[in-house]
Amino acid sequence: MLTLNHFLVLGALLFCIGLYGALAKRNAIAVLMGIEVMLNAVNVTMVGFSFFNTVKPYSTYLTGQIFAIFIITVAAAEAAVALAMIISIYRKRSTVDVGEINLMKW
Amino acid sequence: MAWYQFSWLILFGPLFAFVAIIFGTRMWDLATRPREEAEATPADAAHAHDEAEGETQLIVTHGPHGEEVVLEDDEDPKVPRLTMGARASGYLGIVVVALACIYSWILLLNTSGVINIAPPLDPRGLTVFSYDWLNQGTASYSIAFHIDNLAIAMTVVVTTVSLLVQFYSQGYMENSAGYARFFSYLSLFTFSMLDIVFAQNFLVIFVGWELVGLSSYLLIGFWINKRAKPAEDRPAPATAAIQAFITNRIGDVGFIIGIMILFAQTGTFDFGTLADKANPHGVVQAFVNSGNTGLLTAAMILVFCGAIGKSAQLPLTVWLPTAMEGPTPVSALIHAATMVAAGVYMVARTYPLFAAAGPEALGVVGWVGGITALYAALTALTQTDFKRVLAFSTISQLGYMFVGLGVARGTEFGVGPGMYHLFTHAFFKALLFLGAGSVIHSLHHAMHAEVQDMRKMGGLAKYMPITAITWLVATLSISGFPFFAGFYSKDNIIALAFDQQDYGLYIITLGTAGLTAFYMLRAYILAFGGKGGGFGGLWGGPYRGEGEPHESPRTITIPLVLLAIASIIAGYWTGFFNYVQPINPSAPNLNLGEVFTNPLTWVGVLVSLVGLGWAYVLYTRFELATIHNVVENNALLRFLHRLTLRKFYIDDLYDLLIRYVVLGISHIEAAFDAYVVDGIVNGVAQAVTGLGRSVRHVETGKVQAYMVGFFGGLAVLAIVVFALVTFVK
Repeated sequence: MLTLNHFLVLGALLFCIGLYGALAKRNAIAVLMGIEVMLNAVNVTMVGFSFFNTVKPYSTYLTGQIFAIFIITVAAAEAAVALAMIISIYRKRSTVDVGEINLMKW
Repeated sequence: MAWYQFSWLILFGPLFAFVAIIFGTRMWDLATRPREEAEATPADAAHAHDEAEGETQLIVTHGPHGEEVVLEDDEDPKVPRLTMGARASGYLGIVVVALACIYSWILLLNTSGVINIAPPLDPRGLTVFSYDWLNQGTASYSIAFHIDNLAIAMTVVVTTVSLLVQFYSQGYMENSAGYARFFSYLSLFTFSMLDIVFAQNFLVIFVGWELVGLSSYLLIGFWINKRAKPAEDRPAPATAAIQAFITNRIGDVGFIIGIMILFAQTGTFDFGTLADKANPHGVVQAFVNSGNTGLLTAAMILVFCGAIGKSAQLPLTVWLPTAMEGPTPVSALIHAATMVAAGVYMVARTYPLFAAAGPEALGVVGWVGGITALYAALTALTQTDFKRVLAFSTISQLGYMFVGLGVARGTEFGVGPGMYHLFTHAFFKALLFLGAGSVIHSLHHAMHAEVQDMRKMGGLAKYMPITAITWLVATLSISGFPFFAGFYSKDNIIALAFDQQDYGLYIITLGTAGLTAFYMLRAYILAFGGKGGGFGGLWGGPYRGEGEPHESPRTITIPLVLLAIASIIAGYWTGFFNYVQPINPSAPNLNLGEVFTNPLTWVGVLVSLVGLGWAYVLYTRFELATIHNVVENNALLRFLHRLTLRKFYIDDLYDLLIRYVVLGISHIEAAFDAYVVDGIVNGVAQAVTGLGRSVRHVETGKVQAYMVGFFGGLAVLAIVVFALVTFVK
């Protein structure tokens, strides 16, 4: 029997994996991938809430699903912009190590 | 009624004249001045300043008749002749004040019953102008003017003296470049004093009080280019003006505090309401209700502090002798009718409040006056500056007025004696100053320098008979010689002190009368007489100056003659005491028969005659140099001479006080400001800067470090919220 808790646990696990990737990876592409995973973890949670929602007015409007579609759209745009920036930085500095991209310090 | 209702015209006339001269005829004067004059004089002056830095500076200007004269730089640039605009300024000022003078004389004659063109004035007075300045809750602040007999008597004095002084100034200031400006200031001065005279409440009187201070500042410092003369112990007029202004401010502090105490207790500034015993807002009721008449006494003494400053009583006498640096007509105006009379008038105006306060209030008034009278008379004995003798005699006579107000405790005598002396004193003191101005004017033409030292005069009666005879009249009047005005008013005060059992004040005022007679006749003989002159030395004698002095022009002598007549007949207004206080008809009038049968009168006359006789014998039988030698060779006399010549070292005392105490405190406060206040402000700034410098290393520029911070903070918040939700019910 599939319950809401399964979705929530899956979302939490995915979010933690994504957070680890975003915080720990040196490669900018890998950081970007971690962020994508975090976004999709949120999507899973949204869809889960939407599916198991018992409050009538909200369940009929599919709010969670619509949110998920919006997040996917934004994520696609974000990925495009971020990849463009990474390529640009790579051309300029021949590296994509986020530890070395620290021009905006004190 | 209409005659009274429109008396505010007297008040606003001089104000109109001031505005019209400043913005009208003075502009005309400036626009039509000869061109080369306007360009050459300032340039020359500036040039001379550059070349002779620190030396005795000589400026070449055009003399009164167009010739080149090298003047010591002691006055403003001279003009060869006045423009139409300048003359029009003088005429405008004179015409306006003449109309005001005629109007006030009509009011005086009508209210005293000589002519009958209007019904009698209400004894409590009549409000002639009222404008609500501010209404705030129950308190209302209004600009209100009113007249009663006291105000009318004072208005007559102010406008008459002002008229004569302005007429006289036409001759005295004939070559001064600031002619138009001078007349506008005189009009402003007259307006300021009339504002005090007409005031119906403390607010208006205070405005007038400050305006008088301002206009005296402008006029004392009128000759702004004149320098100090340390050899003659004379400061620069600009310095004198500042001193007068600041000294008055010191007295005004007490005045303001006194007014505020009265207002806080009663909620009103109005003189009539304050003095009204039936009114619940009246001062007596208010202080009785709060059970605090001691506070009223304190308030009235503080109000009197203002009068001390304005009337140059001890300890604030210092400004009046230095105020002599102003043009002489201004000295006459300040000393006779305006400014110093304001203090006496203010005490007379608030007399019901003084009477309602404890006996200490009027005791302070009387004793301050008495001690000042004696001090100033002693100081005047040895002064060599012609005008400075008169300055000290003014201080002394003002002391008499305060004695008159102080010893007339209660309402039986009221303000009569003090105001009577103010009334007669105005005429003979104006005469003395204008006569002194006539001498200085004449000697200026004779020696081409401003000479005020009596040691360079002598025997002038031969050259200037009209000035001499009028001056003699004023001298006898101020000395209390029988049948002159000063005799009646001054002996009245002395006799009143005796009648009221104020024997201390009686002795002081009696002795001062003798001193007054001595120093006034001394000044007369030093200037106009001398050993070997006619009438036993009274008329002419050796002239110790240079050149050939002449009698002054008619614009100067006409006011002298008119004032000489007034200096005699002003004493014969026997109904004055009743006149100035119609609300108190039981006040005893001056009774000439009683005056001449009262032995006290003859004691006073005897003392005056001793003073006159001593001066006569000393200064007509001996040369000035002989007297000087005797004084210098006797240790005691030399000490006394120095003591009085240096004004009992009161100036030096102020000098020490300011140099060490005031400046010392100022240095401490400057250090407090530099180290404590600035230290706090700069310390806060430095702390913020230092904090920023040390914590800026948090900004590593690494995006993952920021993310750790962000999510770490979020985690901490989540834990806190979880804990709160779980454990805090």
